[in-house]
Amino acid sequence: MTTADPLLATRAISKSFGGLKAVDGVDLELREGEILGVIGPNGAGKTTLFSLIAGSIPPTSGEVLMRGFRVSRRPAHKLVRAGVVRTHQIVRPFPNLTVAENVAVGAIHGMWRATGTPRERAAEVLEFVGLADRALDLPGTLTLAGRKRLELARALATVPLVLMLDEVIAGLNPAEAMRLAALIRRIRDERGVAVIMIEHVMPAVMSLSDRVAVLDHGKKIAEGTPAEVVGNPLVVEAYLGKGHGEARP
Amino acid sequence: MTRWPAIFPPRAAIPFALVVVALALLPVLVGVTPYERNLFTLTFLMISGALAWNWMGGYLGQVSFGHAALFGLGGFVAARLMLHANPTPAPIAWFLGGVAAGIFSLGAHPMLRLRGPYFSIATIGVGEASRLLFTYWEEFTGGASGLSLPIDIGMKALLYWWALGLMALVVVASFLIRRSTLGLQLLAIKADVDAAADVGVNATFYQDLVMVLSGAVVGLTGGLYASFFAFIEPSDMFGFDRSIAFVLMSVIGGVGTILGPVLGAIVFVLLRQFLLASYPQLYLGLYGLLLILIILFEPLGLTGLGLRVARAVRRRRAGARRVVASP
Repeated sequence: MTTADPLLATRAISKSFGGLKAVDGVDLELREGEILGVIGPNGAGKTTLFSLIAGSIPPTSGEVLMRGFRVSRRPAHKLVRAGVVRTHQIVRPFPNLTVAENVAVGAIHGMWRATGTPRERAAEVLEFVGLADRALDLPGTLTLAGRKRLELARALATVPLVLMLDEVIAGLNPAEAMRLAALIRRIRDERGVAVIMIEHVMPAVMSLSDRVAVLDHGKKIAEGTPAEVVGNPLVVEAYLGKGHGEARP
Repeated sequence: MTRWPAIFPPRAAIPFALVVVALALLPVLVGVTPYERNLFTLTFLMISGALAWNWMGGYLGQVSFGHAALFGLGGFVAARLMLHANPTPAPIAWFLGGVAAGIFSLGAHPMLRLRGPYFSIATIGVGEASRLLFTYWEEFTGGASGLSLPIDIGMKALLYWWALGLMALVVVASFLIRRSTLGLQLLAIKADVDAAADVGVNATFYQDLVMVLSGAVVGLTGGLYASFFAFIEPSDMFGFDRSIAFVLMSVIGGVGTILGPVLGAIVFVLLRQFLLASYPQLYLGLYGLLLILIILFEPLGLTGLGLRVARAVRRRRAGARRVVASP
């Protein structure tokens, strides 16, 4: 590993579904200890990009590198071992397992990078996300905010190097959103996990992210600090359409 | 700190050990007629088979309608080994029958990409194809006339303990699988195979592993069964009835539980024994009725019914205490 190699990078990664280019030649870099926001209008290819990085689907072309080593075209469970884990936009707890067992499933595969038993690991992670008192309940009894925390805990239990969050804040009320944003920051600060997050809730993504990448029609159209991105005319056009700010006829 | 259940909770382990010891001593201390002994032996074998089926159907959620293929293969491999010019000792023949069935189970690998009803339908196909294949393969199975094993009266009596031992091992194995990280991953795959892969579970590997374990144990059961009846034929060993029996026993008792297949197998063997003699037409109809009632009202079968009764009794007792306590 050299210092020149970023923790995670995509090189011209593309995915076509038939004639539709869902992701089209995207280059992204994630450095150690960084929070990278990924934004873009609906259908821009954000979730597909996540699926490509996580190994849920293979890319049509391009590759994903981790510290300079190619990890693309490996199945999802192998990427978890390499240290890349994702959450889902629509939370998918295992409804037949208790909250603690849900997290323990993730913890089984965190054992490559952690000590202790999966059960101890799960208990520690539940404490960290604030679900320790619900450990023996079934996920169906949790609120949406609780299930989002569970989704986070299950991913964290795998002891990731890169955590990919797909709209974990969306759908929460402002108070819950603030608490979850604080939790994401703690994941980076206290556990040293680099985070890529897709988010539509602009105040959250702008305050949390060190850098933001903007996707539109499968292409990366802008990248930079939150302030730079907001001022970029291409981004404004992607969100609001051409002609914004000009006098209308 | 979260409390976790022990792998083999004392609440279950102690009564289980007592029952096994009592059953082992029963023929010596109390004495049983050959009829009763045979009924017990058959029940032990069916419990073993039902529990092994339940690893697939209950834990992993892949309902197989083709386990007769593994039962039959184990039975015929063991029988052939025992009939050979240099007869293999029965326990080794049974073991090798189990190994053969386990290896054959690896053939389910492509089918395990299918889930739910699609997997079940595929297993019906493989089960029926196996039945036909082994019926026509006369050199191996003796075709429609079947195979007769040398009658060994002493063996038939000994089989009581062999079958009891097998059942005890399979019950312990069921606890080990269910309560270990393996069981946790199987239940995760059952709930959502993609979400399981996203947190690191190698679904393909674990599905294959459980299929092989389940197949090997069902094959082993088939081997003991062949020795027990001393005569086997493909239409019985590989029959669709037999595949259905594994499903029925687990569903009647409570699919996915450990007590369930045990209760289910006991009910199955007893009902069959008493009804088949007096009302051979009625007994399949009765299973059908039982199945409909269970699916409609109590998805956890007899186990679920038991839990429901236990809860009602506890509630009534708690209610009585409250009445007494309040002035």
